[in-house]
Amino acid sequence: MKQLHERAHELLEQKAVSVIIGYGEGTEGRVRPVFIRTLEAVRLLVWDDRCRVNLAVYLNKPEIRKFGFPIAVVSTPATVRTIVQLIAEHQLSIGDVVVLVRENDTVRALIQKEDLEQYARNNPVIFPPFVIEEIELLKKMSIEERFTYWQEELAKCFKCYACRAACPLCYCEKCITDVNQPQWVCVAPHPVGVFEWHINRAMHLAGRCIECGSCTIACPVGIPIALLTIEATRVVKEEFAFTPGIDCNAPSALSTFRVDDKETFIR
Amino acid sequence: MARIGVFVCHCGENIAATVDCEKVAKACAQLPGVAYSIDYKYMCSDPGQNLIREAIKEKNLTGVVVAACSPRMHEPTFRRACAEAGLNPYLCEMANIREHCSWVHPKSEETTLKAIDIVKTIIAKVRKNQPLYPIKVPVTKTALVIGGGIAGIQAALDIANAGHRVILVEKEPSIGGHMAQLSETFPTLDCSQCILTPRMVEVAQHPSITLYTYAEVESLTGFIGNFVARIRKKAKSIDEKLCTGCGECVNACPIKKIPSEFNMGLGTRPAIYIPFPQAVPNKPVIDRSRCTYFRTGKCRFCESKCPTKAIRFDQNDEVINVQVGAVVVATGFTVLESTFFPEYGYGQYKDVVTGLQFERILSASGPTLGEVRRPSDGAIPKKVVFITCAGSRDPAKGIEYCSKICCMYTAKHAMLYKHKVHDGQAYVFYMDIRATGKGYDEFVRRAIEEDHVKYIRGRVSRVYERNGKIVVCGADTLLGAEPVEIEADMVVLATAGVANPGAEELAQALHISYDRHRFFTEAHPKLRPVETNTAGIFLAGACQSPKDIPESVGQASATASKVVALFSRDELTREPIVAVVNRCAPPLYSTCVGCFMCQTACPYSAIEREELRTRDGTLVKTVARVNPGLCQGCGTCVAFCRSKSIDLQGYSNEQMYAEVVELFAE
Repeated sequence: MKQLHERAHELLEQKAVSVIIGYGEGTEGRVRPVFIRTLEAVRLLVWDDRCRVNLAVYLNKPEIRKFGFPIAVVSTPATVRTIVQLIAEHQLSIGDVVVLVRENDTVRALIQKEDLEQYARNNPVIFPPFVIEEIELLKKMSIEERFTYWQEELAKCFKCYACRAACPLCYCEKCITDVNQPQWVCVAPHPVGVFEWHINRAMHLAGRCIECGSCTIACPVGIPIALLTIEATRVVKEEFAFTPGIDCNAPSALSTFRVDDKETFIR
Repeated sequence: MARIGVFVCHCGENIAATVDCEKVAKACAQLPGVAYSIDYKYMCSDPGQNLIREAIKEKNLTGVVVAACSPRMHEPTFRRACAEAGLNPYLCEMANIREHCSWVHPKSEETTLKAIDIVKTIIAKVRKNQPLYPIKVPVTKTALVIGGGIAGIQAALDIANAGHRVILVEKEPSIGGHMAQLSETFPTLDCSQCILTPRMVEVAQHPSITLYTYAEVESLTGFIGNFVARIRKKAKSIDEKLCTGCGECVNACPIKKIPSEFNMGLGTRPAIYIPFPQAVPNKPVIDRSRCTYFRTGKCRFCESKCPTKAIRFDQNDEVINVQVGAVVVATGFTVLESTFFPEYGYGQYKDVVTGLQFERILSASGPTLGEVRRPSDGAIPKKVVFITCAGSRDPAKGIEYCSKICCMYTAKHAMLYKHKVHDGQAYVFYMDIRATGKGYDEFVRRAIEEDHVKYIRGRVSRVYERNGKIVVCGADTLLGAEPVEIEADMVVLATAGVANPGAEELAQALHISYDRHRFFTEAHPKLRPVETNTAGIFLAGACQSPKDIPESVGQASATASKVVALFSRDELTREPIVAVVNRCAPPLYSTCVGCFMCQTACPYSAIEREELRTRDGTLVKTVARVNPGLCQGCGTCVAFCRSKSIDLQGYSNEQMYAEVVELFAE
């Protein structure tokens, strides 16, 4: 923590960044995001095991962007992968972000492409075992059972779009659900509207999801929606050997093909 | 309020036999926005088109729906008719009630109801149609011809003789292609090189043709009238300006045992070589993969012998970009090698050769100087068996198609063999004899009747070596499939004509389509046989499918006429069916967030980057922009766009949605 404070102090003092996005003490023993702009505020930063939420999401928010790049972010492995993926999707450029990571009990600042990619490759996102158990459980179900499972889970959804707001890769300025000429996705939170939204979300994140789990954490009614995008990305990984978030220049897995692909269906 | 006219065509009996056209017209008249609705026997006829023209003027129509055949047939006809009456042609749409309805259903009430539904969806679309205006693009009046075989040569000469510049690119050191390898040509038995070489020289001397040999097209960007081709001129390792083609270097080269490509591996060549005596250009190249100097750093014998000091070991590949308006692809084909056939010995028997190898054996410029001698021991073969359909028409080998030229060249081979070896006997195993050209069947009859070539109808199951002979086991199906065994001195396989290695990569570089045999695909098998689906790129010769010389030449001249027609205009107009990235009010300016997934998805490289700036020049964001000259209107980007920021003009999201929703509306 002391190291982080020193590093943050240094970055702000040298005006190397406009803002530091980090974790601060919240209510009821929880942490919350803090946006540090002044030297006095640096002391608010905390960094411990509670700090798991992916702060990269704030990099897409116009309120934060208006401070101007570079911006520093206190990062978990998932955050680093998110930033690499955002660079690959042309939403950020190298140098826009100073990525603060913990490595062997020291705080490192990653800026360059090679450092970001290397860290991302060496530090996979680890999610709690129950997530993997849940996926395996779902896979064992028959199609009908799985459909029933999701019908029951999604029946709770009232379309608050917290999942969208929490997802660092949902950065469209106008989401497809907001397109009303024509209205492709039904806005009402009835079963059809809810399914349309979640299927769209899963498809739009297939091969892009970093598996940070922010959407599930954000869901106020506790739907494990990250399972959909995690599994979609795993399918893309199995089919196309593509992992998002480790290569700043990777083209999108679903809009490209390789000439030397051994599969012939695309020819 | 829209004022739409609906015109229901009977198409004679084609539609009216199963659909009650009058009922369709009456039902449509009741729909909101429809101001006029009528049926007529032949809408595409002059009186039919007049109906439309007059209705537009009299009823002041704002949109037209013609319920008739597929838009592929008559959309241009009706759009032109609308334009003549002063209506923007893109406000006219066709509802296909023939292919999609009358042809595929029996006469019934339901068929008529389906026709009404189809027309209703298109009416819903037309309500959302916007006037569109053709896109104008300039034309670069230079043609790129890829491949210097007979097809490429003919296309280049025809285009150049019409007064346009041509860039001819050949990947080998000389132009000439397969035709230069042939001995005589069917059905006249005139010498192939004698008729080809004057054309090759004409190409070299033509002031409007720029010839790049030992060069390959790496990529093609741009669009009809405005392509940019990236050409790699491989290092020939000689200074062509200094080289006189004397051949001293070729004689000096100590590496002499390289199988000659021109002689299909039957002869040899040095590492610095001119592929054949009449090569154009008649200057050598160094094969760097074989040259001792390039492999070990020592030798340079050729350099020491060169009287004009023209050898350049330090030459690099040169990559040039050329601007061209049209492309003729004439990259030809290749034949399967005998190694492909386990039943014919996997290529392990030296005296089992391919047809193209036999051409070299027959040729006066070949490894045996025109004497028929077999490769293993140089003996004159007294019994030669020709096997047609080696690979072709064999689904088990993955080649279902007929290679087309084999029946004829096998007859020629057998005939030429008999002319050279009078006491020899030629046998031909065949499935069918396909001799369907001018003078072709007469030619085959001549081989059988005058030259006494023994034609045996049946297939060969196995070929193996026994005591210096090649034993051919087959069956004669005209004698009740009686087994036939021939002890031959030599076997010639008419192996299947297949696409060139690298055909797939070239097609991808050019953005043209190809079939599962990797032959390039024409735009329409009957009516657009030399066009590709990419405007401005044409096909000539065997790269499209195996074909003989007259056909290749005919096709080449056809491509030339297409290119010349294209070059006859200074400006091209293109259909405005292109994608556009939306614009909206600040602070968004566009809903595009610039993820550029569309850029990688676009098969035509039509997506560019555009910086959106405010009035004072501040960068708002970088968004996608569709180059309307390149866009082919396929809509792939529209499907990929997560935020639906791209739309296809003429087939917009709103139009498509309206069509679909109309089907469910009651």
